[in-house]
Amino acid sequence: MTTSSAHILEMSGITKAFPGVLALDNANLSVQAGHIHGLVGENGAGKSTIIKVLAGVYRRDSGQIIIDGKAMAEVTPALVHAAGLRFIHQELHLVPHFTVAESVFMGQEQQGWFGIKSRAMNEAAERFLEETLNAEIRGRTLVRDLGIAHRKLVQIARALIDNQARVVVFDEPTAPLASAEIDQLFDAIARLKAHGISMIYVSHYLGEITSICDRVAVFRNGRDVGVIDDIGLRDSGRMINMMVGRDIADFYPVKNHAPSEPLLTIEGLADRKHFSDINLEIKRGEIVGLAGLIGSGREELVDTIYGLRRAATGRMLLDGKPLTLKSPADAVKHGIVLVPRDRRQDGLVLDMAVADNINLASLQDVARAFLIDRAAAVKRAESVADRLDVRPHNVGAISRLLSGGNQQKVVLARWLVTGSRLFILDEPTVGVDVGAKVEIYRLIEKLAGEGAAVFVSSSDPNELLGLCDRILVLLRGTIIADVDTATTSLDQLIALTTGGELQHGATA
Amino acid sequence: MTSLASPRQSFDIGRLARAVAPSLPLIVFLAMFVYLGIASPSFLEPSTFALILKQSIPTTIVSLGLATVVMAGGDDVVSGGIDLSIPAAAVLAAAVVADLVTNHAWFIGPALLIGLLTAVACGLVNAFLVVLVGMTPLLATFASATAFVGIGKVVTASRRINVTDPLVVWLRDGVIAGVPVGVIAACVISAVFYFVLHRTRWGLNLQAVGGNRDAAEISGLSPAKFIATAFVIAGLAAGIGSIFVLARGSGWAPGTEENMMMEMVLATFLGAAFSPRRIVTLWGAVLGAVLVSALSVGFGSVGIDIFWTGCIKGGLILVVVASSALSRKVNI
Repeated sequence: MTTSSAHILEMSGITKAFPGVLALDNANLSVQAGHIHGLVGENGAGKSTIIKVLAGVYRRDSGQIIIDGKAMAEVTPALVHAAGLRFIHQELHLVPHFTVAESVFMGQEQQGWFGIKSRAMNEAAERFLEETLNAEIRGRTLVRDLGIAHRKLVQIARALIDNQARVVVFDEPTAPLASAEIDQLFDAIARLKAHGISMIYVSHYLGEITSICDRVAVFRNGRDVGVIDDIGLRDSGRMINMMVGRDIADFYPVKNHAPSEPLLTIEGLADRKHFSDINLEIKRGEIVGLAGLIGSGREELVDTIYGLRRAATGRMLLDGKPLTLKSPADAVKHGIVLVPRDRRQDGLVLDMAVADNINLASLQDVARAFLIDRAAAVKRAESVADRLDVRPHNVGAISRLLSGGNQQKVVLARWLVTGSRLFILDEPTVGVDVGAKVEIYRLIEKLAGEGAAVFVSSSDPNELLGLCDRILVLLRGTIIADVDTATTSLDQLIALTTGGELQHGATA
Repeated sequence: MTSLASPRQSFDIGRLARAVAPSLPLIVFLAMFVYLGIASPSFLEPSTFALILKQSIPTTIVSLGLATVVMAGGDDVVSGGIDLSIPAAAVLAAAVVADLVTNHAWFIGPALLIGLLTAVACGLVNAFLVVLVGMTPLLATFASATAFVGIGKVVTASRRINVTDPLVVWLRDGVIAGVPVGVIAACVISAVFYFVLHRTRWGLNLQAVGGNRDAAEISGLSPAKFIATAFVIAGLAAGIGSIFVLARGSGWAPGTEENMMMEMVLATFLGAAFSPRRIVTLWGAVLGAVLVSALSVGFGSVGIDIFWTGCIKGGLILVVVASSALSRKVNI
């Protein structure tokens, strides 16, 4: 808060309390003009609260907000919009059957005597997307025919089309994107910066923060605990220390499990499109990773092993016996469990209580005849939830209200109570804060320690290296490498997943 | 080892479903028309075509209203927008007009105005129930439809009322340049609805609300206003439709709304099958209404039992709704 003239946005001494929770405690956030300002912190650290205070969604209890030198006495969505603030929400908020132009101009369509000027809007949207975001997208294309990355660019274009934007706030913009798509988004962000637009960039991905941000503010417990200027690739460790208040050394658990006899064997598995000639073996008490870019067939392979998709040829053996999976229900019967990548959509009944979600797959165990023994069910759910430290400590809470990390724990808890043998975890820590990540890693380690076979599919190479015994690398549908994590470096792994070329310093 | 071979088959079924499901209603309709054309040669005559168009007018007008509500509320039948009460409101308005003109010797003009206001009031009731009370549109309009029908019976003592006013007769029998007056009127009304809903900024915003409520809200639009207005427009459509109900039936008769509701739902959702975006549109609804009317007329000319006609139309609604559910499923 030195030279206020260079600051396009200054929030100082912001306090916001909710019943029972002090969400922001005298927090500060200031953004210099033309900078990309990173904002990191665990879930519950106050990042989203301060963004919502800025957006006018929440009213601050105290504190000052200065936008471009003008103190804002009142902050409402309309006022901050008029002041040139734009918010790129994590959700896309697009209409699937609208055209690109209709989406970009939503709420500010151009109209003449003969109605909507479709052609002019198409051309303007195309020009804007190309010039400002370097994306060639036809204005007439339907949103539902676009890839996720292009949809994200359409969302950004909508926020910027009126050319009044001064500060753009990105909330986890890369969460649904594949790595090639992320490059495209970053390219667009770099162009915005070149246009003199300031940005706030909220993300869990520290690698992204270090590669695109000029400065970063770290939040913990409702306060800004530190600012790192001139952030570089080596600052991830520092950020994590500030975020969690503990050292990165105990980020990944000590490997304390011992692989024994093979549990799952796959021979010559292939579908017609996404993967071919897949051979692999997972032993009891072993954690095997699966690396591969989006489009490498990783998702499809995982879904096939779980019975969500069918293979064309090949066979699977469980404990030496041929395994036929017609559906996920079959898989569950055999003690195979999938923790899906999109847990909000596939993993949890969001409006059910935590206890009900935990018991969902094993109600027969707590049922007498046809009746569910409520007390026993709740008691069992409580014991598992306690073991995993699901917060809040109340299995009656509605699952929707839990943080991402805690939702993930509930999904894992469900399968713990069923006594499963093979755990397939698909992106187990996407959208989960650092603290919850550590706990999920511990839990995975524990599963393996108890003799379960664990198969982790992940787009985070650090996670695979820290967690697994072996990593299988999938490239364009075939397994091109099976590496021992003890003797593999991050650079080597990234080189393998991207097809042999050493990636140019994107990750540290 | 053999176990993994069977999937090949089901994979192809999935692909087949993907290709066929959205067009299923059209295929079924086409098949029925081919059958009707063969079974009854008179079905293909121009006079039959004119009859089809004339018969379709009331359904067309109320379908415009339903399409508007669906476009504003989203096409999910449970959580989205639907208004089952439009035909009931139209028939109630028709009852009011018939009662005023025939039993109280009002001039047709003021009577039609009162009828129109009655129908718009019905729309306001629905808007209130859905937007302010927060009821599910399906339940709210199902309940209000029952009430509207009840009020209509109170007004008319559930007895048929003939209307012989020249304007009504002209709408039924008049011809301009060889085209029935009613058909011209319906075309003009449809064109106005089309322009407002599909070609204006306001209409596009209304569609945005139906397509993604959050997206609309973020873009500075107020979803509640659009949804409420859509129900009022549906009431307006019911009011306009009431004139054509009177014209088609030469007056008011009890029970008209039942068949109309079925035809309206069928026409509106059938229309989505024509749209390249597979969504409910106004022109799709109009086309749907004409097809549904053609089917009714066709069944009549072949001499299919009226009870069977109901079964077949019910089956068609299932096909239409199932195909939209299927195409949504395979699109994921």
